[in-house]
Amino acid sequence: MYRQGDVLIAPLAESAVPRGALDATSEPRDRRGRLVLALGEVTGHAHAVVGPGRLIREDDAFGPMLLHVPEGARVVHEEHAAISLPKGWYRVVRQREYVPGSVRIVAD
Amino acid sequence: MNEQASWRAVAAATGAGDRARTEAGVRLAYRGAGLPEPERIVWVRSPLAAVRLLSGAAADDGEALPATGASVRDAVRNRPVAAARARLHHRLGPTGWSDHWRATGADLWETTQPLVDRVRTGVVEALAPADRKEETRVRLLLLDAVLGQHDAAWLSAFDTAPELDGLAEVARAAGWWWPYERVAVVAERPVELHRDEAGRLDRGDGPALAFSDGFALHAWRGLPVPGEFLDRLASLTPEQIRAEENAELRRVMLEYHGYDRYLEESGAQPVHRDETGVLWRIALPGDEDVVMVEVVNSTPEPDGTSRTYWLRVPPTTTTAREGVAWTFGLSAEAYEPLRQT
Repeated sequence: MYRQGDVLIAPLAESAVPRGALDATSEPRDRRGRLVLALGEVTGHAHAVVGPGRLIREDDAFGPMLLHVPEGARVVHEEHAAISLPKGWYRVVRQREYVPGSVRIVAD
Repeated sequence: MNEQASWRAVAAATGAGDRARTEAGVRLAYRGAGLPEPERIVWVRSPLAAVRLLSGAAADDGEALPATGASVRDAVRNRPVAAARARLHHRLGPTGWSDHWRATGADLWETTQPLVDRVRTGVVEALAPADRKEETRVRLLLLDAVLGQHDAAWLSAFDTAPELDGLAEVARAAGWWWPYERVAVVAERPVELHRDEAGRLDRGDGPALAFSDGFALHAWRGLPVPGEFLDRLASLTPEQIRAEENAELRRVMLEYHGYDRYLEESGAQPVHRDETGVLWRIALPGDEDVVMVEVVNSTPEPDGTSRTYWLRVPPTTTTAREGVAWTFGLSAEAYEPLRQT
């Protein structure tokens, strides 16, 4: 389990990967060829994966998302130290905050 | 800048745009729809001013609006967009279309749509505070608007559709606009737009969205607040915060005042402390307790200090670990980061 700022990247056993994910369409890469896990709307700073792999959005716009990095990868961000991920499947979760009556997403 | 980033910039652009370019875009959109060009293009400084003008008020130059004829929004905006969408849908298939939308406009739509709703609400509140019939009339006029820069999400999805060239030109330089048979009314973009990292309207010391004629909206992390309320924030005391009866406003007060300051001034003691952070609880009369985890950012700031931040967690939380785990949707036992940055 890895954490970079407001994003948590938790390993997922191959057997726990939802079946639909295997042939689901991947999220497109950004202009710099990265898989963007979370994007800061104002600064444009991004938690992003560099290297081969696929990112699959499970449901709504705020995730969670599934990440598959068959050869391992690095997670980079403009303000956080990079994290090396061993190869495998991950679930990517964005941090949330409790608001009475609802829940809101944290953005760092 | 790639296409998506450039449309993102269009949606968030402020300041007066190129009028000649906008007007050429308006004319192109009419011609593309098979309509004669409008006889006049009238500029206003905000969507509020546009609705006022269309309601019969005099324009900035003192002139009343000439007879506009019927709305041509359907021909100028809806039909070309529907055609572009149908063509793409046909080419990509339902799944392909859905993937395409997610890759292009979906995220931008998520952040732009609340902005559009806020502007609509602001116009209604300014012009029809209590009168239902008047409100309906204002809302109908708002529905005649083409959203200009705020159509960026759709335009980014149909970037290559030639029938949208006119709409795209206007979007790059202007705000909302109202196409009628004989007249087009075009509003300038806002002069101020302040948002937080999640894209929500957010400003503590002035309007989060403001137009050059003074039409302005105040918000704190997306929550609409009255302008006078923000003026009071800078001089708050813990007593005033406790005395505020509106729970949402009290939350804003706490955030603005600073949880750390509030806790210090009210002599609060931490409830629990472990390697993930510190858990605090503030009892508020007549409301559920505010329970927060205090967490230190793992990566130091450029100046070497570590930023402390606070996250509110459910009131049932009893340990700091449980609180931090909850922010990621996990149980305390399941939360075990190997590495944090």
